[in-house]
Amino acid sequence: MKRLALLYFASVVLISCVSGEPKPLQLNLDTCDFCRMTIANAHFGAELITQKGRCYKFDDVACLIHFAKSNPSVTSPFLFVGDFAMNSKLAPVENCVYIKGGTIKSPMNGNALAFSSKNEAQQYQAKYKADILTWKELYNSY
Amino acid sequence: MRIYIGYFLFSFQLLLAHSIHVGKQFPVKSIRQAIQQANDTDTIIVHQGLYREGSIVINKKIVFLGYDYPILDAQKQGDAVSIKADSVVVSGFKIINSGFASLDDPCGIKVYNRTYVRIYNNRLANNFFGIYLQNCSNCIVKGNSIVAHGTQEQLIGNGIHCWKSENLQIIANTVSGHRDGIYFEFVTNSVIWRNISTKNIRYGLHFMFSNDDSYLTNLFKNNGAGVAVMFSKNVKMINNTFQENWGDAAYGLLLKEIADGYIFSNKFIKNTTGIYMEGTSRIKLEKNSFISNGWGMKIQASCMENDIVHNNYLKNTFDISTNGSLVLNTFNFNYWDKYEGYDLDKNGIGDVPYHPLSLFAVLTEKNASTLLLFRSFMITLLDKSEKVLPSITPDNFIDNTPLMKALWL
Repeated sequence: MKRLALLYFASVVLISCVSGEPKPLQLNLDTCDFCRMTIANAHFGAELITQKGRCYKFDDVACLIHFAKSNPSVTSPFLFVGDFAMNSKLAPVENCVYIKGGTIKSPMNGNALAFSSKNEAQQYQAKYKADILTWKELYNSY
Repeated sequence: MRIYIGYFLFSFQLLLAHSIHVGKQFPVKSIRQAIQQANDTDTIIVHQGLYREGSIVINKKIVFLGYDYPILDAQKQGDAVSIKADSVVVSGFKIINSGFASLDDPCGIKVYNRTYVRIYNNRLANNFFGIYLQNCSNCIVKGNSIVAHGTQEQLIGNGIHCWKSENLQIIANTVSGHRDGIYFEFVTNSVIWRNISTKNIRYGLHFMFSNDDSYLTNLFKNNGAGVAVMFSKNVKMINNTFQENWGDAAYGLLLKEIADGYIFSNKFIKNTTGIYMEGTSRIKLEKNSFISNGWGMKIQASCMENDIVHNNYLKNTFDISTNGSLVLNTFNFNYWDKYEGYDLDKNGIGDVPYHPLSLFAVLTEKNASTLLLFRSFMITLLDKSEKVLPSITPDNFIDNTPLMKALWL
């Protein structure tokens, strides 16, 4: 029994060590690791976590993409963006659809918002007269 | 003769314009009604009182004056005042409680795509954005006091936000408690003069993609991260004071990706870092004082062709720091209070060159926790030996003509 408890404890500890869990952005405290600005608006926030668990934070998805492109040595990092409809909770980039352009204005002129649900994205797309993009399209658009 | 006729017509025009008084004791009780009745060139004078009429839209060329600071309360719904006509004057109001935290950026006063609008002597309190100029030209924002009470975890807008505009004058305003005190994005040929920007959550002043502007004689104090000038060309920064911007990522002045600027006669007092430069080129830094900062200047290796002359470096923990060994900037005729050289020919210029970059500054740049050893015996010894035989610090990081006496600035 004791051994089982120990095993359970160890596995919990080890699982929590697995990298790839996003750390929440601390508003007006964290700085963007690409443009050096203080992150003041979580709607546009983004995060990159390396295989070793190092965490880079960004104030705009454009900064995340520029950072990823200019650091090809960081292999297969975990990328996250703030989900606009879910109170800017960080979600994996591939799971999101994006709306870009129109009247959306972001800190570094990336002007894109992320949504984990396509329905929500379509609603806001009409409201802001923006275009709907997938992650791949967004990545190639900067 | 033609001038006389012109003058006559002009005064006739003046006679035609009349004024509408709004207030309890006047026939017109509501501002909306007054605007509806008004024609172009009329004056509306609003008398003291509390006006809760939602968002007030000014869509005629009128002069909109407040007498004894009447209060316009938007009750947390949308813009308090939106200006949708050219040449409007708004003066003497107390404007409170705009809408909050939506993506449409609700404001105290918002100007949409207009020219020659003037906003004078208003008091704005508790708005999401203070004054917002969107796609405007030749506007003047003068003498306003803008206060909000943003907290660190909270989303809040900027005090004076200018977007895609030109020929603006931002003069003698005081801003505090907003995200950025004054924010310029895609703004050209504009001037920011004699403003006081304090206790803002992010930056006292923030430039993004704004070329050919200047800011003169402003005070930036106690802001979350100082002042940032980013992605801009030809910005002139003259006679400003950058004071007490403390924090891990706080700078008196953050320069990022800017070129061809002129930084003249500013004071950097008690900041964590006086100036942080990254990707900065062809800037002339002249006659500035760096006093009691943690780091006087941090010059990243991505900076080039910057000319740093006739500055005072007094009482800083580190005068200069850098993250690389490449030095493409020149230092001349600066005064360094840590300089220990002599001046035998008495020409006021030290006979031995000065290396402003200490070994310890390089070490802390690479490994911040070595700061624990600051002022220890070993570090002092290492610093001394490095001065004699530079090995880690770049040997061309040098002021060949250090001044013996501080400049009178």
